[in-house]
Amino acid sequence: MKYGFVAPALVLLIAMNIFPLLYNIRLSFTSANLSGGTASFVGTRNYGRVFEGSDDNRYAAAIRTTAKFVVCAVAIELLLGFALAMVLKDRFPGKTAVLTILLIPMMLSPAVMGLYANLLFNEQFGIINRTIAFLGAEHPPAWLTGPGVKFWTILLIDTWMWTPFMMLIAMAALNSIPRYIYEAAEVDRAGAWLVFRRITLPMSAPLLGLAALLRTTDALKQFDYIMAVTGPNDAATQTLSALMYQVMFKNAHTGLGSAYSCVVLVIVIALASVFIRYIDRIQSGSG
Amino acid sequence: MRRVVLIGLVLATAVFLCNGCGKAKKEDAGAQSITIWWAQWAPADGLQELGNEFEKETGIAVKVHQIPWSSYQDQVFLNFGNRQTDFDIVVGDSQWIGRGATQGLYLDLTDWLPGATDMTKVHPRAKKYLCEYPAGSGKYFAAPCETDAVGFSYRKDWFEDPKEKEAFKAKYGRELAVPDTWAEFKDIAEFFTRPGEKRYGCSLLTGRGYDSLTMGFQQIMWAFGGAWGDEGTFKVKGFVDSAGAVEALEFAKQLLEFAPEGAANFDYGKNLEVFMNGSVAMAMNYFAFFPGICASEQMTDKAGFFMMPAKGDNRVISLGGQGFSISKKVPASRQELAKKFIAWFLKTDIQKKWITKPAGFTANTEILSSDEFKNATGYNAPFAGSLDYLQDFWNVPAYNELLAAAQRYIGEALDGAREPKEALGELAAEHERIFKDAGLLK
Repeated sequence: MKYGFVAPALVLLIAMNIFPLLYNIRLSFTSANLSGGTASFVGTRNYGRVFEGSDDNRYAAAIRTTAKFVVCAVAIELLLGFALAMVLKDRFPGKTAVLTILLIPMMLSPAVMGLYANLLFNEQFGIINRTIAFLGAEHPPAWLTGPGVKFWTILLIDTWMWTPFMMLIAMAALNSIPRYIYEAAEVDRAGAWLVFRRITLPMSAPLLGLAALLRTTDALKQFDYIMAVTGPNDAATQTLSALMYQVMFKNAHTGLGSAYSCVVLVIVIALASVFIRYIDRIQSGSG
Repeated sequence: MRRVVLIGLVLATAVFLCNGCGKAKKEDAGAQSITIWWAQWAPADGLQELGNEFEKETGIAVKVHQIPWSSYQDQVFLNFGNRQTDFDIVVGDSQWIGRGATQGLYLDLTDWLPGATDMTKVHPRAKKYLCEYPAGSGKYFAAPCETDAVGFSYRKDWFEDPKEKEAFKAKYGRELAVPDTWAEFKDIAEFFTRPGEKRYGCSLLTGRGYDSLTMGFQQIMWAFGGAWGDEGTFKVKGFVDSAGAVEALEFAKQLLEFAPEGAANFDYGKNLEVFMNGSVAMAMNYFAFFPGICASEQMTDKAGFFMMPAKGDNRVISLGGQGFSISKKVPASRQELAKKFIAWFLKTDIQKKWITKPAGFTANTEILSSDEFKNATGYNAPFAGSLDYLQDFWNVPAYNELLAAAQRYIGEALDGAREPKEALGELAAEHERIFKDAGLLK
């Protein structure tokens, strides 16, 4: 009977996670092609293609773009989210309305956000460039097509969408710090900077670390805005997910695409392990 | 617990039976119907209307299933991955034909097509690129459905404005007229570029999404003496990175100086948009988009159309459009129904109806050469003239990889991330690697 209760979850886990993972690993050692044909065993050839310098080292370029995106997105969103949480943690009139407005972007689908941003940032009639032009700028930025700009546009969209998430977790972290600790610091005449450095920051760090971990793993998979803004084949914005999509679905190389995804999976697992150990260490330190 | 299991079993059986009935029903209905997959656009509506006529004549229903352009290719080839496709006919891009012919997806029509229609009436360029694989081999894997070419729409009212004509003549020493060469085109683009008035000279196909940048650039490259490679040996170095190709890419970059903001990434829709909102004097696009311009209230009297310019005597134009291919992954009985419909569609009297549908462009030479066709719309005559200069991108099975590389490197050159010579050099190396991987280049 006890196994009966676990069985549905187990079946779902195997069907939706374990089997696709194992099948993907198997595919990565074959010449499988989306348009059909026989998928023959090719050994580690696909992995060789992933790491070798051919394709103008697209893989290395995609890793660099992804890393730049993850580092910038997580850092900016964490800092902005934490700053907003510090400002909004105390009660004030209209707090609920402000929070609701700030949380709206997070509630939308990333694909919708990407398409919406396409309209806002449109060089011809987008409200942003219209406003910049109205203010007197002769050459507003080419947000969606400028070679040095489009990556930052995508980062801006991500920041717009996910800063509220960081803010929510930071608020939860700040609210979890017992009030009496601040009262004790006040009795000891600790200054605001000292209180922030010695109490607020270390005590909210575990939750902020968790937020950073969640955002890192999510940002690593960045795909939606890239598809909506530049498409998967733009060298300036091609992340690992976009490259994988291009290789697997556009170029129809299912085997090679599977090898790419296996490598990405290993990177995500490695990063996740590092973060989890970091959180464990903080928690054991505070315990 | 037992009751729960019993209810579960009953429900599962019911679902199974319903599914089974549904399938049986579908197969019954399918015996007298043809399913065609095509992209979601006006010509597909026209095809459906003709399909309805076919049903009235034969009793065989035709269902044209339309899929958004953005996911059309993905959905078609994903469906080809199944044992049996959901479509009997696919209206496939010209570049797909190699993949379809060699991967066991498209039915070989070589023995059937010449008997079903008079192939001498099919324009030779359309026959070569839309129907044959390898191109010019006489082996047919598709029949022409929508034949298309890239051309230009232009602001006839601006060109005919006496003040503009006078100013142009004063500056360039010749009459302001539709350009016949790329040099003339550049002058006119420069003349009409007035950012202060939000007016620009031209817009080109430069979109990075699928193929628009490649379709837009390749005709300039061909005209300037470049080429994608040797069609026999698949050697690329010395062709796509030749002096002519580099000059063409530099020229295309110069033209973008006379285009609106963001014009380094304008797909088909965007080119149409900037023309319709009055931003540009000349906009590159496929002829299939031009009926929409004529149908719009704001442009109907203002727009004219012209053929792709030449460099000297060298004029080459990107082929567009799609052909009917029959899925090899449907039963023979369904393939026969599909053949019946294609043969009917290719009859000259049906083609005469087809050209009355929005963007229903034909490859039928009898119709193309008639004055009736040429005078019917403002774009028919330049379209008919364009067909003699059509050429296509690679259509080998690895076309998509080749296309993605072209989009990427040419895009980097337009963005300024690489110099044109370097970008085309890298592209040549990448294309040769793809051909080697595909076993085509020794």
